[in-house]
Amino acid sequence: MKKKLLIIGAVIAVSPVLYSFCGFYVSKADGTLKNKTSQVILVRDGNKNVITMYNDFKGDTKDFAMVVPVPVVLRKDDIKVVDQSIFQRLNDYSAPRLVEYWDQNPCYGYEKEDMIQRKSVSASMAEVTVAGALRGKVAGVKIEAKYLIGEYDILILSAKESGGLKDWLNENGYKIPEGAEEVLDPYIKSNLKFFVVKVNEKEKKKLNNNFLRPIQISFNSPKFMLPIRLGMANADGDQDLIVYAFTRKGRIECTNYRNVNIVTGNNVPLFVQKNFGAFYGNLFTHQWDKEDKSAAFLEYAWNVTPVNQMKCDPCVGNPPTEYDLVQCGVWWLGNKDWSDYSDVDNEEPDNGSKNVHFTRLHFRYNRKSFAQDLMFQVTPNTENYQARYVITHPATGDFTCDAGKKYLQDLKTRRKKELRELTALTGTNINNWQDEATAKDDEETVVEAQYATLLPQIKNETEKRGSTGLILFSALLLGSAGFLKWKGFV
Amino acid sequence: MFLTALKKDARYFQILFQTIFLGYGIIYLGWKAEWWLYTTYFTCSIITQLGFEFLLGKKEIAYWKRTRFSLPSVLISSFGLSLLLKTNHLEVAALAAFISIASKFLIKIKGKHIFNPSALGIVAAIFLTDKAWFSPGQWGSSTVILFGVCCLGIIIVTKVQKLDTSLAFLGTFAALLFIRQIIYLGWPLDFFVQSISTGSLLLFSFFMITDPKTTPNHTAARIIWSMLVAAVAFYLTTFKFINGAPVWVLVCMQPIVPVLDYFFKAKKFEWKPSSSLNKKEQTFLNTVYNNVSI
Repeated sequence: MKKKLLIIGAVIAVSPVLYSFCGFYVSKADGTLKNKTSQVILVRDGNKNVITMYNDFKGDTKDFAMVVPVPVVLRKDDIKVVDQSIFQRLNDYSAPRLVEYWDQNPCYGYEKEDMIQRKSVSASMAEVTVAGALRGKVAGVKIEAKYLIGEYDILILSAKESGGLKDWLNENGYKIPEGAEEVLDPYIKSNLKFFVVKVNEKEKKKLNNNFLRPIQISFNSPKFMLPIRLGMANADGDQDLIVYAFTRKGRIECTNYRNVNIVTGNNVPLFVQKNFGAFYGNLFTHQWDKEDKSAAFLEYAWNVTPVNQMKCDPCVGNPPTEYDLVQCGVWWLGNKDWSDYSDVDNEEPDNGSKNVHFTRLHFRYNRKSFAQDLMFQVTPNTENYQARYVITHPATGDFTCDAGKKYLQDLKTRRKKELRELTALTGTNINNWQDEATAKDDEETVVEAQYATLLPQIKNETEKRGSTGLILFSALLLGSAGFLKWKGFV
Repeated sequence: MFLTALKKDARYFQILFQTIFLGYGIIYLGWKAEWWLYTTYFTCSIITQLGFEFLLGKKEIAYWKRTRFSLPSVLISSFGLSLLLKTNHLEVAALAAFISIASKFLIKIKGKHIFNPSALGIVAAIFLTDKAWFSPGQWGSSTVILFGVCCLGIIIVTKVQKLDTSLAFLGTFAALLFIRQIIYLGWPLDFFVQSISTGSLLLFSFFMITDPKTTPNHTAARIIWSMLVAAVAFYLTTFKFINGAPVWVLVCMQPIVPVLDYFFKAKKFEWKPSSSLNKKEQTFLNTVYNNVSI
């Protein structure tokens, strides 16, 4: 059957209550803070790392504070603020996508004009609050550096023991969440520094905007990791994290959790289009459940080198431009004028390659399933991958010709399969989709092939299959019992 | 018939277990897309073995006997590659398989080959081509795996009389990690459990480092050597963040084995006397073992 590709859509599913990926957020007001999905950009080549952290803080900026463990004392040149729209662009571009096809009537051919539709729900990351001015020194805590970068006051602390660090934060008005001290201890002993960020009100006013720009840090370290454990200190549920990674060599992979390619390429019912976000949300949750809630899910992997033409199939939005990539911290694309990281460029391996590989990983973590921080490696895997789901519009018109009759039969079979696929992918009961499958939205389709007509049939099928299974199982039990009796074992 | 074969030759146990493990990966962990990779490893290894056996094998023993006897070892090496080495390139997979098997015939001292075939194949493919990688994150870390691999691993290893190598390695590695992660850094216990319950570490401990042809003959030397491998692997894993460190260390430490064999005199590996094996069969197995590149 001839099909024509027509519509493209992209959506990111958002989980409602989430905390930050990398730091713990300290709160003045107890337990009232809501967090959403964290997003982070990782750029890695050789031992050089650039990490960009997204802020979607909605409260009073006076109350914002963030603590991130870092392996080295960062210099002023290693820290910068970047344009926050870059996250939206990366998300739109790499999010799981819905592809739409149109059947052609086998009795006569016709075409519809192309349409492009895009849906996008933004994901965000959340933070918390701090109050009070910095006060005196507490034993064992040292302020390694103090910078004003953009709208942020930044401190880099080192500590000798977690108690001291906790006291210091308390005395300076940071409220330490329950359980954080236990997590601080291993970090201090691993010789990590603490990158503490607050908003400088004076600088913030000058900017005249109502958001906080993402902070980008750059450093050399053989460790390729994201410290999520600290962020779990005040987390009471599952947290979502989207990692956008750029490397010169190929895909990144999580080394201490299982890597799973999220299921892709499935044909799903037409009505999924109405709420693709909810569909993908259900799908992700179901897959995550199936993988023991402890895996890194790959949603997109592609060579996005600016000279490479084909970056997705089909593309959801404009691919990131060279400028975007440089903004993300892909230093090997920048020309000589872009020298913000000149101080750490010395150890950068330069094989002259301008390749950029983009990996999007989706994590949903909680304390129970994620005992360790996320460790990564850059692999030479350059295979392309994208999460895409397919819907197909049926042909309309007259199906009285022989081919038309056959088409209707095939259509019914296909749509039943789509309904089954929908329940299998999302782990939901077929009854849950009753409302979505109304005949009203599907009225152009021949009645006998409408989802509303097919849905009860599928329901009967599954019930029948269930009871057949039960009968077979009982028969097996009886049979074995009889066999044992006959052999004289019981 | 099948059980008798299992009792006679521990390698059948290894093959059985590795089949289960690969099956688990393909069926439950979704490695379906990689069938071509496994096919390449197996086909190339078998062809290489047949070819080298024909060219360089001991002519005193009939060709078919030699190949029949070495086939289980070839399968074990192929399983090792399939379970640990990833690549997108057919030629890289073929190269890894070729190097693994060829090294058994070309690099040997006093009838013992120096390098563990699959370990060398993995290291050579990663190092020479930069198009292959070691994938520690393909297993997940559920305790089911830990339990399964440990239990089955112990059975296999007892059959082949080499539990000492596995335990010396795994014990030292785990103990060092425990001291570092729990006692020194103060991470909670589940942090440590996750570190040691990876499929690749356990496969390494029970099926790779245990190869009698590539470990010292003398028991004490073997244990010290395994502990040394563990200590260096621990250092590289913890402080240098190297993935798959045990495999790299194993390959680098194997040239020491002939030196240890020189200083620690011991009888060569003897096929385990088993109740199901009569004197004649045992003598035959020992002769073949010592003369065939398995």
